[in-house]
Amino acid sequence: MNHHPVWLRLKDELAQVATVALKDIRIYYLQPPMIMFGILLPFFLFFSFSIKRNIGAEAGIAQLLAMTTFFTASSAGPVIIPLERRMGTYDRLLAAPMSLATLLIGKTLVGAFFALIASILPLLVGVLWLDVAITDVALLIAGLLLASLTFAAFGMVFGSVPAQSVGSIMMPSTLIRWPLLFISGIFIPLSDMAPWVRTLAYLSPLTYAHDVLHFAISGDGHLNYWLDLALMVVLVIVFLVPASLLHRRSRVLGR
Amino acid sequence: MKHAIEVHDLTKYYGKLLAVDHISFKVGVGEIFGFLGPNGAGKSTTQRMLTTLLEPTSGQIFLNGHDLAHDAYPAKRVMGLVPEESNIYSELTAWDNLIFTARLYRMPSDQRSACAQELLEEFGLWEKRDVKVENFSKGMRRRLSIAMAIIHKPALLFLDEPVPGLDAQSARAIRSKIRQLREDGTTIFLTTHDIEEASQLCDRIAIINYGKIAAIDTPERLKADFRRVQSVEVALEPGEKVEKDRLNDFRGVSHVIRAGDKWRLYTEDPSSLVPQIVHFAQDHGLRILHLHTLGPSLEDVFLEITGQEIGTVQHENNGQNNQGMKKRGRK
Repeated sequence: MNHHPVWLRLKDELAQVATVALKDIRIYYLQPPMIMFGILLPFFLFFSFSIKRNIGAEAGIAQLLAMTTFFTASSAGPVIIPLERRMGTYDRLLAAPMSLATLLIGKTLVGAFFALIASILPLLVGVLWLDVAITDVALLIAGLLLASLTFAAFGMVFGSVPAQSVGSIMMPSTLIRWPLLFISGIFIPLSDMAPWVRTLAYLSPLTYAHDVLHFAISGDGHLNYWLDLALMVVLVIVFLVPASLLHRRSRVLGR
Repeated sequence: MKHAIEVHDLTKYYGKLLAVDHISFKVGVGEIFGFLGPNGAGKSTTQRMLTTLLEPTSGQIFLNGHDLAHDAYPAKRVMGLVPEESNIYSELTAWDNLIFTARLYRMPSDQRSACAQELLEEFGLWEKRDVKVENFSKGMRRRLSIAMAIIHKPALLFLDEPVPGLDAQSARAIRSKIRQLREDGTTIFLTTHDIEEASQLCDRIAIINYGKIAAIDTPERLKADFRRVQSVEVALEPGEKVEKDRLNDFRGVSHVIRAGDKWRLYTEDPSSLVPQIVHFAQDHGLRILHLHTLGPSLEDVFLEITGQEIGTVQHENNGQNNQGMKKRGRK
Protein backbone atom coordinates (compact mmCIF):
# COMPACT_ATOMS: atom_id res chain seq x y z
CA MET A 1 0.00 0.00 0.00
CA ASN A 2 1.26 3.44 -0.94
CA HIS A 3 1.88 5.55 2.16
CA HIS A 4 2.29 9.22 1.55
CA PRO A 5 4.61 10.82 4.13
CA VAL A 6 3.08 13.73 6.06
CA TRP A 7 5.64 16.28 4.90
CA LEU A 8 5.12 15.29 1.28
CA ARG A 9 1.38 15.54 1.74
CA LEU A 10 1.75 19.02 3.22
CA LYS A 11 3.92 20.06 0.30
CA ASP A 12 1.30 18.72 -2.11
CA GLU A 13 -1.50 20.56 -0.34
CA LEU A 14 0.40 23.86 -0.44
CA ALA A 15 1.06 23.37 -4.14
CA GLN A 16 -2.64 22.65 -4.66
CA VAL A 17 -3.57 25.91 -2.94
CA ALA A 18 -1.43 27.73 -5.51
CA THR A 19 -2.79 25.66 -8.43
CA VAL A 20 -6.42 26.39 -7.51
CA ALA A 21 -5.80 30.08 -6.79
CA LEU A 22 -3.76 30.76 -9.94
CA LYS A 23 -6.30 29.03 -12.15
CA ASP A 24 -9.17 31.08 -10.66
CA ILE A 25 -7.25 34.33 -10.90
CA ARG A 26 -6.63 33.64 -14.56
CA ILE A 27 -10.20 32.72 -15.38
CA TYR A 28 -12.33 35.01 -13.25
CA TYR A 29 -10.50 38.32 -12.94
CA LEU A 30 -12.59 39.94 -15.63
CA GLN A 31 -15.95 38.33 -14.88
CA PRO A 32 -18.65 41.04 -15.05
CA PRO A 33 -20.05 40.33 -11.54
CA MET A 34 -16.54 40.68 -10.10
CA ILE A 35 -16.06 44.08 -11.73
CA MET A 36 -19.55 45.27 -10.81
CA PHE A 37 -19.66 44.15 -7.18
CA GLY A 38 -15.99 44.45 -6.45
CA ILE A 39 -14.66 47.52 -8.15
CA LEU A 40 -17.44 49.83 -9.33
CA LEU A 41 -19.76 49.47 -6.34
CA PRO A 42 -17.31 50.77 -3.70
CA PHE A 43 -16.67 53.88 -5.79
CA PHE A 44 -20.39 54.55 -6.20
CA LEU A 45 -20.87 54.11 -2.48
CA PHE A 46 -17.97 56.33 -1.65
CA PHE A 47 -19.23 59.20 -3.80
CA SER A 48 -22.81 58.69 -2.61
CA PHE A 49 -21.98 58.92 1.06
CA SER A 50 -18.92 61.17 1.16
CA ILE A 51 -19.62 64.09 -1.13
CA LYS A 52 -20.61 67.23 0.76
CA ARG A 53 -19.87 65.57 4.11
CA ASN A 54 -16.63 67.41 4.64
CA ILE A 55 -14.57 64.40 5.59
CA GLY A 56 -10.82 64.63 5.30
CA ALA A 57 -8.90 62.99 2.46
CA GLU A 58 -7.24 60.52 4.86
CA ALA A 59 -10.57 59.40 6.31
CA GLY A 60 -12.06 59.21 2.83
CA ILE A 61 -9.29 56.98 1.49
CA ALA A 62 -9.52 54.71 4.53
CA GLN A 63 -13.27 54.39 3.89
CA LEU A 64 -12.78 53.69 0.23
CA LEU A 65 -10.07 51.09 0.87
CA ALA A 66 -12.20 49.32 3.47
CA MET A 67 -15.24 49.21 1.17
CA THR A 68 -13.22 48.16 -1.86
CA THR A 69 -11.57 45.25 -0.07
CA PHE A 70 -14.88 44.31 1.56
CA PHE A 71 -16.97 44.17 -1.62
CA THR A 72 -14.27 42.75 -3.89
CA ALA A 73 -13.02 40.00 -1.58
CA SER A 74 -16.45 38.94 -0.40
CA SER A 75 -17.76 38.77 -4.00
CA ALA A 76 -15.24 36.20 -5.20
CA GLY A 77 -16.64 33.13 -3.42
CA PRO A 78 -20.31 33.83 -4.25
CA VAL A 79 -19.42 34.44 -7.90
CA ILE A 80 -16.81 31.78 -8.62
CA ILE A 81 -18.12 28.74 -6.76
CA PRO A 82 -21.71 28.74 -8.14
CA LEU A 83 -20.30 29.33 -11.64
CA GLU A 84 -18.01 26.35 -11.21
CA ARG A 85 -20.81 24.22 -9.79
CA ARG A 86 -22.97 25.06 -12.80
CA MET A 87 -20.21 24.21 -15.27
CA GLY A 88 -19.41 20.98 -13.43
CA THR A 89 -15.80 22.02 -13.00
CA TYR A 90 -16.20 22.19 -9.23
CA ASP A 91 -16.53 18.39 -9.16
CA ARG A 92 -13.12 18.24 -10.79
CA LEU A 93 -11.67 20.14 -7.84
CA LEU A 94 -13.63 18.20 -5.21
CA ALA A 95 -12.48 14.87 -6.65
CA ALA A 96 -8.85 15.99 -6.93
CA PRO A 97 -6.26 14.80 -4.43
CA MET A 98 -6.46 17.63 -1.92
CA SER A 99 -8.27 18.30 1.31
CA LEU A 100 -11.35 20.48 1.52
CA ALA A 101 -9.36 22.95 3.62
CA THR A 102 -6.86 23.30 0.78
CA LEU A 103 -9.61 24.01 -1.72
CA LEU A 104 -11.22 26.59 0.57
CA ILE A 105 -7.91 28.32 1.28
CA GLY A 106 -7.11 28.39 -2.44
CA LYS A 107 -10.47 30.00 -3.20
CA THR A 108 -10.04 32.44 -0.31
CA LEU A 109 -6.68 33.57 -1.68
CA VAL A 110 -8.37 34.35 -5.00
CA GLY A 111 -10.79 36.79 -3.35
CA ALA A 112 -7.99 38.32 -1.33
CA PHE A 113 -5.87 38.76 -4.44
CA PHE A 114 -8.68 40.48 -6.34
CA ALA A 115 -9.28 42.78 -3.37
CA LEU A 116 -5.62 43.75 -3.16
CA ILE A 117 -5.54 44.52 -6.87
CA ALA A 118 -8.76 46.53 -6.59
CA SER A 119 -7.35 48.51 -3.64
CA ILE A 120 -4.48 49.84 -5.75
CA LEU A 121 -6.76 52.32 -7.52
CA PRO A 122 -8.11 54.11 -4.42
CA LEU A 123 -4.63 54.07 -2.94
CA LEU A 124 -3.20 55.77 -6.04
CA VAL A 125 -6.04 58.28 -6.03
CA GLY A 126 -5.27 59.08 -2.40
CA VAL A 127 -1.51 59.32 -2.65
CA LEU A 128 -1.07 60.88 -6.09
CA TRP A 129 -4.16 63.03 -6.46
CA LEU A 130 -5.22 63.95 -2.93
CA ASP A 131 -1.67 64.06 -1.48
CA VAL A 132 -2.53 61.70 1.35
CA ALA A 133 0.55 60.79 3.39
CA ILE A 134 0.47 57.26 4.73
CA THR A 135 1.47 57.28 8.40
CA ASP A 136 2.43 53.60 8.69
CA VAL A 137 3.01 51.82 5.37
CA ALA A 138 3.78 48.43 6.96
CA LEU A 139 0.56 48.57 8.96
CA LEU A 140 -1.36 49.57 5.84
CA ILE A 141 -0.01 46.55 3.95
CA ALA A 142 -0.74 44.21 6.87
CA GLY A 143 -4.21 45.71 7.27
CA LEU A 144 -5.03 45.40 3.58
CA LEU A 145 -3.74 41.82 3.48
CA LEU A 146 -5.69 40.69 6.52
CA ALA A 147 -8.82 42.63 5.58
CA SER A 148 -8.78 41.04 2.13
CA LEU A 149 -8.32 37.56 3.58
CA THR A 150 -11.03 38.09 6.19
CA PHE A 151 -13.59 39.34 3.67
CA ALA A 152 -12.68 36.64 1.15
CA ALA A 153 -13.24 34.00 3.85
CA PHE A 154 -16.52 35.74 4.69
CA GLY A 155 -17.53 35.45 1.02
CA MET A 156 -16.66 31.76 1.09
CA VAL A 157 -19.48 31.18 3.58
CA PHE A 158 -22.00 32.30 0.94
CA GLY A 159 -20.14 30.65 -1.93
CA SER A 160 -20.34 27.34 -0.07
CA VAL A 161 -24.14 27.32 0.00
CA PRO A 162 -25.16 24.52 -2.38
CA ALA A 163 -26.45 26.44 -5.41
CA GLN A 164 -25.59 26.75 -9.07
CA SER A 165 -26.65 30.30 -9.78
CA VAL A 166 -24.70 33.41 -8.88
CA GLY A 167 -27.96 35.32 -8.43
CA SER A 168 -29.36 32.99 -5.79
CA ILE A 169 -26.19 33.38 -3.72
CA MET A 170 -25.64 37.10 -4.34
CA MET A 171 -29.10 38.02 -3.05
CA PRO A 172 -28.64 36.70 0.53
CA SER A 173 -25.00 37.74 0.57
CA THR A 174 -25.96 41.31 -0.35
CA LEU A 175 -28.70 41.32 2.27
CA ILE A 176 -26.10 40.56 4.91
CA ARG A 177 -23.23 42.62 3.56
CA TRP A 178 -25.12 45.92 3.42
CA PRO A 179 -26.17 45.97 7.08
CA LEU A 180 -22.62 45.03 8.01
CA LEU A 181 -21.41 48.04 6.02
CA PHE A 182 -23.78 50.47 7.69
CA ILE A 183 -23.09 49.33 11.26
CA SER A 184 -19.32 49.18 10.77
CA GLY A 185 -18.31 52.72 11.68
CA ILE A 186 -17.32 53.59 8.14
CA PHE A 187 -19.91 56.31 7.70
CA ILE A 188 -20.37 57.20 11.39
CA PRO A 189 -17.21 57.06 13.50
CA LEU A 190 -17.32 54.52 16.33
CA SER A 191 -16.71 57.30 18.87
CA ASP A 192 -19.88 59.12 17.73
CA MET A 193 -22.08 56.06 18.05
CA ALA A 194 -24.49 55.33 20.88
CA PRO A 195 -23.11 52.48 23.04
CA TRP A 196 -25.65 49.93 21.81
CA VAL A 197 -24.95 50.83 18.17
CA ARG A 198 -21.22 50.51 18.87
CA THR A 199 -21.84 47.04 20.28
CA LEU A 200 -23.52 46.17 17.01
CA ALA A 201 -20.58 47.65 15.10
CA TYR A 202 -18.24 45.20 16.77
CA LEU A 203 -20.19 42.39 15.08
CA SER A 204 -19.06 43.63 11.68
CA PRO A 205 -15.65 42.48 10.42
CA LEU A 206 -15.55 45.71 8.44
CA THR A 207 -15.23 47.66 11.71
CA TYR A 208 -11.78 46.19 12.43
CA ALA A 209 -10.58 46.54 8.83
CA HIS A 210 -11.65 50.16 8.64
CA ASP A 211 -10.17 50.92 12.06
CA VAL A 212 -6.75 49.52 11.21
CA LEU A 213 -6.69 51.14 7.76
CA HIS A 214 -7.71 54.46 9.26
CA PHE A 215 -4.91 54.14 11.80
CA ALA A 216 -2.35 53.22 9.14
CA ILE A 217 -3.27 56.25 7.01
CA SER A 218 -4.03 58.95 9.57
CA GLY A 219 -2.36 57.64 12.73
CA ASP A 220 -5.69 57.70 14.54
CA GLY A 221 -7.88 54.71 15.40
CA HIS A 222 -10.59 53.76 17.85
CA LEU A 223 -9.23 50.36 18.89
CA ASN A 224 -5.72 49.04 19.39
CA TYR A 225 -4.57 48.09 15.90
CA TRP A 226 -2.97 44.91 17.17
CA LEU A 227 -6.40 43.89 18.37
CA ASP A 228 -7.85 44.71 14.95
CA LEU A 229 -5.22 42.57 13.24
CA ALA A 230 -5.59 39.68 15.70
CA LEU A 231 -9.38 39.68 15.38
CA MET A 232 -9.15 39.56 11.60
CA VAL A 233 -6.85 36.53 11.79
CA VAL A 234 -9.37 34.83 14.07
CA LEU A 235 -12.23 35.79 11.76
CA VAL A 236 -10.56 34.16 8.74
CA ILE A 237 -10.61 30.87 10.62
CA VAL A 238 -14.09 31.47 12.02
CA PHE A 239 -15.55 32.09 8.54
CA LEU A 240 -13.89 29.06 7.01
CA VAL A 241 -15.60 26.77 9.54
CA PRO A 242 -19.19 27.30 8.28
CA ALA A 243 -17.84 27.27 4.70
CA SER A 244 -16.39 23.83 5.38
CA LEU A 245 -19.59 22.62 7.09
CA LEU A 246 -21.71 23.82 4.16
CA HIS A 247 -19.45 21.93 1.75
CA ARG A 248 -19.88 18.79 3.83
CA ARG A 249 -23.63 19.36 3.83
CA SER A 250 -23.55 19.72 0.08
CA ARG A 251 -21.71 16.38 -0.15
CA VAL A 252 -24.47 14.73 1.87
CA LEU A 253 -27.29 16.36 -0.10
CA GLY A 254 -25.66 15.69 -3.46
CA ARG A 255 -26.03 19.30 -4.62
CA MET B 1 -7.92 -11.66 -7.24
CA LYS B 2 -6.94 -8.16 -6.25
CA HIS B 3 -9.76 -5.69 -6.35
CA ALA B 4 -9.62 -2.11 -7.55
CA ILE B 5 -13.11 -1.41 -6.22
CA GLU B 6 -14.87 -3.08 -3.30
CA VAL B 7 -18.31 -1.91 -2.32
CA HIS B 8 -20.01 -3.30 0.77
CA ASP B 9 -23.65 -2.67 1.60
CA LEU B 10 -23.58 0.79 0.06
CA THR B 11 -26.72 2.81 0.69
CA LYS B 12 -27.80 6.34 -0.12
CA TYR B 13 -30.91 8.15 0.98
CA TYR B 14 -31.87 11.59 -0.30
CA GLY B 15 -34.08 12.61 2.57
CA LYS B 16 -36.60 9.76 2.66
CA LEU B 17 -35.96 8.62 -0.88
CA LEU B 18 -33.84 5.51 -1.14
CA ALA B 19 -31.59 5.98 -4.17
CA VAL B 20 -29.09 3.16 -3.62
CA ASP B 21 -30.21 0.16 -1.64
CA HIS B 22 -27.48 -1.82 0.15
CA ILE B 23 -25.48 -2.76 -2.92
CA SER B 24 -22.26 -4.79 -2.83
CA PHE B 25 -19.89 -5.64 -5.67
CA LYS B 26 -16.21 -5.93 -6.51
CA VAL B 27 -14.27 -4.88 -9.57
CA GLY B 28 -10.98 -6.61 -10.33
CA VAL B 29 -7.79 -4.77 -11.17
CA GLY B 30 -7.57 -4.19 -14.92
CA GLU B 31 -11.22 -4.99 -15.51
CA ILE B 32 -13.67 -2.94 -17.59
CA PHE B 33 -16.80 -3.00 -15.47
CA GLY B 34 -20.05 -1.77 -17.01
CA PHE B 35 -22.70 -0.22 -14.82
CA LEU B 36 -26.09 -0.18 -16.53
CA GLY B 37 -29.53 0.88 -15.47
CA PRO B 38 -32.51 3.01 -16.43
CA ASN B 39 -32.40 6.71 -15.65
CA GLY B 40 -33.04 7.19 -11.96
CA ALA B 41 -31.97 3.65 -11.04
CA GLY B 42 -29.01 4.82 -8.96
CA LYS B 43 -26.12 4.71 -11.46
CA SER B 44 -24.95 8.27 -11.09
CA THR B 45 -25.51 8.28 -7.35
CA THR B 46 -23.32 5.19 -7.05
CA GLN B 47 -20.63 6.67 -9.24
CA ARG B 48 -20.64 9.94 -7.32
CA MET B 49 -20.18 8.02 -4.07
CA LEU B 50 -17.32 6.02 -5.59
CA THR B 51 -15.60 9.22 -6.67
CA THR B 52 -15.98 10.91 -3.25
CA LEU B 53 -18.39 13.55 -4.57
CA LEU B 54 -21.29 12.23 -2.54
CA GLU B 55 -21.33 10.91 0.98
CA PRO B 56 -22.97 7.51 1.41
CA THR B 57 -25.64 7.12 4.07
CA SER B 58 -24.05 3.82 5.04
CA GLY B 59 -21.78 1.15 3.68
CA GLN B 60 -18.12 1.00 2.76
CA ILE B 61 -16.13 1.73 -0.36
CA PHE B 62 -12.54 0.59 -0.86
CA LEU B 63 -10.60 1.87 -3.85
CA ASN B 64 -7.30 0.04 -4.35
CA GLY B 65 -7.60 -1.07 -0.73
CA HIS B 66 -8.14 2.44 0.69
CA ASP B 67 -11.29 3.01 2.70
CA LEU B 68 -12.82 6.15 1.15
CA ALA B 69 -14.43 7.18 4.43
CA HIS B 70 -11.10 7.44 6.23
CA ASP B 71 -8.36 7.43 3.65
CA ALA B 72 -9.59 9.07 0.45
CA TYR B 73 -6.40 10.95 -0.44
CA PRO B 74 -4.35 8.03 -1.85
CA ALA B 75 -7.39 6.78 -3.74
CA LYS B 76 -7.98 10.21 -5.25
CA ARG B 77 -4.40 10.37 -6.46
CA VAL B 78 -4.84 7.32 -8.69
CA MET B 79 -8.38 8.05 -9.84
CA GLY B 80 -9.53 9.68 -13.06
CA LEU B 81 -13.05 10.93 -13.61
CA VAL B 82 -14.96 11.67 -16.82
CA PRO B 83 -18.44 12.88 -15.87
CA GLU B 84 -21.41 12.75 -18.23
CA GLU B 85 -21.14 16.46 -18.99
CA SER B 86 -17.62 17.42 -20.05
CA ASN B 87 -16.43 19.63 -17.21
CA ILE B 88 -13.73 21.66 -18.83
CA TYR B 89 -12.73 25.26 -18.24
CA SER B 90 -14.15 26.94 -21.36
CA GLU B 91 -12.13 30.08 -20.76
CA LEU B 92 -8.84 28.17 -20.99
CA THR B 93 -7.21 26.60 -24.02
CA ALA B 94 -6.99 22.83 -24.47
CA TRP B 95 -3.33 23.00 -23.52
CA ASP B 96 -3.95 25.01 -20.36
CA ASN B 97 -6.75 22.67 -19.27
CA LEU B 98 -4.41 19.70 -19.54
CA ILE B 99 -1.54 21.41 -17.77
CA PHE B 100 -3.86 22.56 -14.98
CA THR B 101 -5.10 19.00 -14.47
CA ALA B 102 -1.55 17.66 -14.52
CA ARG B 103 -0.67 20.15 -11.79
CA LEU B 104 -3.76 19.19 -9.82
CA TYR B 105 -2.56 15.59 -9.81
CA ARG B 106 0.95 16.68 -8.87
CA MET B 107 2.65 15.37 -11.97
CA PRO B 108 6.33 16.27 -12.09
CA SER B 109 6.82 19.40 -14.19
CA ASP B 110 9.08 17.65 -16.72
CA GLN B 111 6.33 15.14 -17.54
CA ARG B 112 3.39 17.54 -17.85
CA SER B 113 4.16 19.00 -21.25
CA ALA B 114 5.23 15.69 -22.78
CA CYS B 115 2.05 13.91 -21.61
CA ALA B 116 -0.17 16.81 -22.68
CA GLN B 117 1.35 16.83 -26.15
CA GLU B 118 1.06 13.07 -26.48
CA LEU B 119 -2.63 13.10 -25.53
CA LEU B 120 -3.53 16.07 -27.69
CA GLU B 121 -1.91 14.39 -30.68
CA GLU B 122 -3.57 11.08 -29.92
CA PHE B 123 -7.03 12.67 -29.65
CA GLY B 124 -6.54 14.81 -32.75
CA LEU B 125 -6.50 18.10 -30.83
CA TRP B 126 -2.88 19.13 -31.22
CA GLU B 127 -3.66 21.69 -33.92
CA LYS B 128 -6.27 23.24 -31.61
CA ARG B 129 -4.11 23.27 -28.50
CA ASP B 130 -4.09 27.08 -28.25
CA VAL B 131 -7.79 27.52 -28.97
CA LYS B 132 -10.09 28.33 -26.07
CA VAL B 133 -12.35 25.39 -25.29
CA GLU B 134 -15.48 27.56 -25.61
CA ASN B 135 -14.94 27.25 -29.37
CA PHE B 136 -14.76 23.44 -29.31
CA SER B 137 -17.45 21.08 -30.64
CA LYS B 138 -19.09 18.57 -28.29
CA GLY B 139 -16.90 15.76 -29.60
CA MET B 140 -13.72 17.78 -29.13
CA ARG B 141 -14.74 18.70 -25.60
CA ARG B 142 -15.42 15.05 -24.84
CA ARG B 143 -12.04 13.97 -26.15
CA LEU B 144 -10.34 16.68 -24.13
CA SER B 145 -12.33 15.73 -21.05
CA ILE B 146 -11.05 12.16 -21.34
CA ALA B 147 -7.51 13.35 -21.98
CA MET B 148 -7.72 15.42 -18.79
CA ALA B 149 -8.92 12.41 -16.83
CA ILE B 150 -6.03 10.21 -17.92
CA ILE B 151 -3.11 12.62 -18.14
CA HIS B 152 -1.85 11.45 -14.74
CA LYS B 153 -2.16 7.81 -15.84
CA PRO B 154 -4.78 6.80 -13.27
CA ALA B 155 -5.00 3.20 -12.14
CA LEU B 156 -8.77 3.57 -11.90
CA LEU B 157 -10.89 5.48 -14.39
CA PHE B 158 -14.56 6.36 -13.97
CA LEU B 159 -16.28 7.01 -17.28
CA ASP B 160 -19.85 8.26 -17.36
CA GLU B 161 -21.54 7.93 -20.76
CA PRO B 162 -18.34 8.50 -22.71
CA VAL B 163 -19.65 8.13 -26.26
CA PRO B 164 -23.38 8.86 -26.80
CA GLY B 165 -24.17 11.83 -28.99
CA LEU B 166 -20.69 12.09 -30.44
CA ASP B 167 -19.58 12.14 -34.04
CA ALA B 168 -18.17 8.90 -35.44
CA GLN B 169 -14.57 10.12 -35.33
CA SER B 170 -14.74 11.07 -31.65
CA ALA B 171 -16.62 7.90 -30.69
CA ARG B 172 -14.05 5.73 -32.46
CA ALA B 173 -11.13 7.55 -30.85
CA ILE B 174 -12.66 7.14 -27.40
CA ARG B 175 -13.51 3.45 -27.80
CA SER B 176 -10.03 2.76 -29.05
CA LYS B 177 -8.55 4.61 -26.07
CA ILE B 178 -10.69 2.67 -23.60
CA ARG B 179 -9.42 -0.60 -25.03
CA GLN B 180 -5.85 0.61 -24.95
CA LEU B 181 -6.17 1.72 -21.33
CA ARG B 182 -7.38 -1.73 -20.39
CA GLU B 183 -4.40 -3.24 -22.18
CA ASP B 184 -2.21 -0.96 -20.06
CA GLY B 185 -3.81 -2.30 -16.86
CA THR B 186 -6.21 0.54 -16.04
CA THR B 187 -9.38 -0.48 -14.26
CA ILE B 188 -12.39 1.15 -15.88
CA PHE B 189 -15.78 1.71 -14.30
CA LEU B 190 -18.06 2.49 -17.22
CA THR B 191 -21.50 3.92 -16.60
CA THR B 192 -23.46 3.84 -19.81
CA HIS B 193 -26.82 3.71 -21.52
CA ASP B 194 -25.32 2.10 -24.57
CA ILE B 195 -25.92 -1.59 -24.00
CA GLU B 196 -24.26 -2.73 -27.18
CA GLU B 197 -21.19 -0.73 -26.32
CA ALA B 198 -21.12 -2.21 -22.83
CA SER B 199 -21.45 -5.65 -24.38
CA GLN B 200 -18.50 -4.99 -26.70
CA LEU B 201 -16.22 -3.30 -24.16
CA CYS B 202 -16.94 -4.71 -20.72
CA ASP B 203 -15.53 -7.78 -19.01
CA ARG B 204 -18.44 -7.77 -16.59
CA ILE B 205 -21.64 -5.84 -16.27
CA ALA B 206 -23.86 -4.93 -13.35
CA ILE B 207 -27.44 -3.93 -13.96
CA ILE B 208 -28.87 -1.67 -11.30
CA ASN B 209 -32.59 -1.27 -10.95
CA TYR B 210 -34.47 0.66 -8.25
CA GLY B 211 -31.19 1.13 -6.42
CA LYS B 212 -30.40 -2.58 -6.23
CA ILE B 213 -28.01 -4.70 -8.24
CA ALA B 214 -30.39 -6.83 -10.28
CA ALA B 215 -27.74 -8.84 -12.12
CA ILE B 216 -23.99 -8.95 -12.31
CA ASP B 217 -21.94 -11.16 -14.63
CA THR B 218 -20.11 -11.29 -17.94
CA PRO B 219 -22.19 -10.16 -20.93
CA GLU B 220 -22.31 -13.66 -22.40
CA ARG B 221 -23.34 -15.33 -19.14
CA LEU B 222 -26.05 -12.74 -18.62
CA LYS B 223 -27.39 -13.54 -22.07
CA ALA B 224 -27.19 -17.27 -21.41
CA ASP B 225 -29.25 -16.85 -18.25
CA PHE B 226 -32.00 -15.30 -20.32
CA ARG B 227 -32.53 -17.91 -23.01
CA ARG B 228 -36.25 -17.34 -22.56
CA VAL B 229 -35.93 -14.04 -24.35
CA GLN B 230 -34.80 -15.57 -27.64
CA SER B 231 -36.46 -14.23 -30.73
CA VAL B 232 -37.14 -14.85 -34.39
CA GLU B 233 -36.66 -11.96 -36.73
CA VAL B 234 -38.62 -12.01 -39.96
CA ALA B 235 -39.16 -9.70 -42.93
CA LEU B 236 -42.18 -10.45 -45.13
CA GLU B 237 -43.25 -9.00 -48.47
CA PRO B 238 -45.53 -7.21 -49.03
CA GLY B 239 -45.03 -5.81 -45.53
CA GLU B 240 -48.29 -3.87 -45.38
CA LYS B 241 -50.26 -7.14 -45.41
CA VAL B 242 -48.74 -8.17 -42.08
CA GLU B 243 -50.55 -7.17 -38.92
CA LYS B 244 -48.94 -7.23 -35.52
CA ASP B 245 -51.96 -8.94 -33.92
CA ARG B 246 -51.69 -11.86 -36.31
CA LEU B 247 -48.03 -12.40 -35.36
CA ASN B 248 -48.88 -12.10 -31.69
CA ASP B 249 -51.31 -15.01 -32.07
CA PHE B 250 -48.56 -17.50 -32.89
CA ARG B 251 -48.15 -20.21 -30.31
CA GLY B 252 -45.39 -19.50 -27.76
CA VAL B 253 -44.89 -15.82 -28.70
CA SER B 254 -44.66 -13.55 -25.68
CA HIS B 255 -44.55 -10.26 -27.55
CA VAL B 256 -43.78 -8.74 -30.93
CA ILE B 257 -41.90 -5.60 -31.81
CA ARG B 258 -41.30 -3.92 -35.12
CA ALA B 259 -37.65 -3.25 -36.00
CA GLY B 260 -37.55 -1.24 -39.22
CA ASP B 261 -38.94 -3.41 -42.04
CA LYS B 262 -38.63 -6.50 -39.87
CA TRP B 263 -40.68 -8.02 -37.07
CA ARG B 264 -39.10 -9.53 -33.99
CA LEU B 265 -41.14 -12.24 -32.27
CA TYR B 266 -40.01 -13.16 -28.77
CA THR B 267 -40.32 -16.78 -27.69
CA GLU B 268 -38.75 -19.42 -25.49
CA ASP B 269 -38.86 -21.90 -28.36
CA PRO B 270 -37.75 -20.56 -31.75
CA SER B 271 -37.77 -24.06 -33.33
CA SER B 272 -41.54 -24.40 -33.04
CA LEU B 273 -42.12 -20.81 -34.14
CA VAL B 274 -40.26 -20.97 -37.46
CA PRO B 275 -42.67 -23.51 -39.07
CA GLN B 276 -45.62 -21.39 -37.96
CA ILE B 277 -44.14 -18.36 -39.71
CA VAL B 278 -43.48 -20.34 -42.87
CA HIS B 279 -47.07 -21.66 -42.94
CA PHE B 280 -48.39 -18.18 -42.29
CA ALA B 281 -46.41 -16.81 -45.21
CA GLN B 282 -47.60 -19.58 -47.55
CA ASP B 283 -51.24 -19.20 -46.49
CA HIS B 284 -51.22 -15.45 -47.08
CA GLY B 285 -49.13 -15.34 -50.24
CA LEU B 286 -46.23 -13.57 -48.53
CA ARG B 287 -42.59 -13.86 -49.50
CA ILE B 288 -40.06 -14.40 -46.72
CA LEU B 289 -37.21 -11.96 -47.33
CA HIS B 290 -35.40 -12.57 -44.09
CA LEU B 291 -35.75 -15.17 -41.32
CA HIS B 292 -33.31 -15.28 -38.50
CA THR B 293 -33.30 -16.75 -34.99
CA LEU B 294 -31.62 -14.56 -32.38
CA GLY B 295 -30.27 -15.32 -28.94
CA PRO B 296 -31.03 -12.74 -26.27
CA SER B 297 -29.15 -9.48 -26.75
CA LEU B 298 -27.89 -7.61 -23.74
CA GLU B 299 -30.66 -5.15 -24.41
CA ASP B 300 -33.19 -7.97 -24.09
CA VAL B 301 -31.60 -8.98 -20.80
CA PHE B 302 -31.75 -5.41 -19.62
CA LEU B 303 -35.37 -5.10 -20.66
CA GLU B 304 -36.23 -8.37 -18.96
CA ILE B 305 -34.61 -7.30 -15.71
CA THR B 306 -35.71 -3.70 -15.54
CA GLY B 307 -38.92 -3.86 -17.49
CA GLN B 308 -37.81 -0.69 -19.24
CA GLU B 309 -36.00 0.34 -22.35
CA ILE B 310 -32.60 1.78 -21.70
CA GLY B 311 -32.66 5.55 -21.38
CA THR B 312 -36.23 5.76 -20.12
CA VAL B 313 -36.88 7.41 -16.80
CA GLN B 314 -37.70 5.16 -13.92
CA HIS B 315 -40.93 5.93 -12.11
CA GLU B 316 -41.79 4.59 -8.68
CA ASN B 317 -45.40 3.94 -9.54
CA ASN B 318 -45.02 2.52 -12.99
CA GLY B 319 -47.58 -0.27 -12.83
CA GLN B 320 -45.70 -2.68 -15.04
CA ASN B 321 -42.55 -2.42 -12.98
CA ASN B 322 -43.76 -3.12 -9.50
CA GLN B 323 -42.11 -6.48 -9.50
CA GLY B 324 -39.48 -6.59 -6.83
CA MET B 325 -40.36 -3.17 -5.54
CA LYS B 326 -40.62 -2.44 -1.91
CA LYS B 327 -41.41 0.45 0.28
CA ARG B 328 -38.54 2.81 -0.25
CA GLY B 329 -38.84 4.98 2.81
CA ARG B 330 -36.00 5.33 5.29
CA LYS B 331 -35.87 2.42 7.65
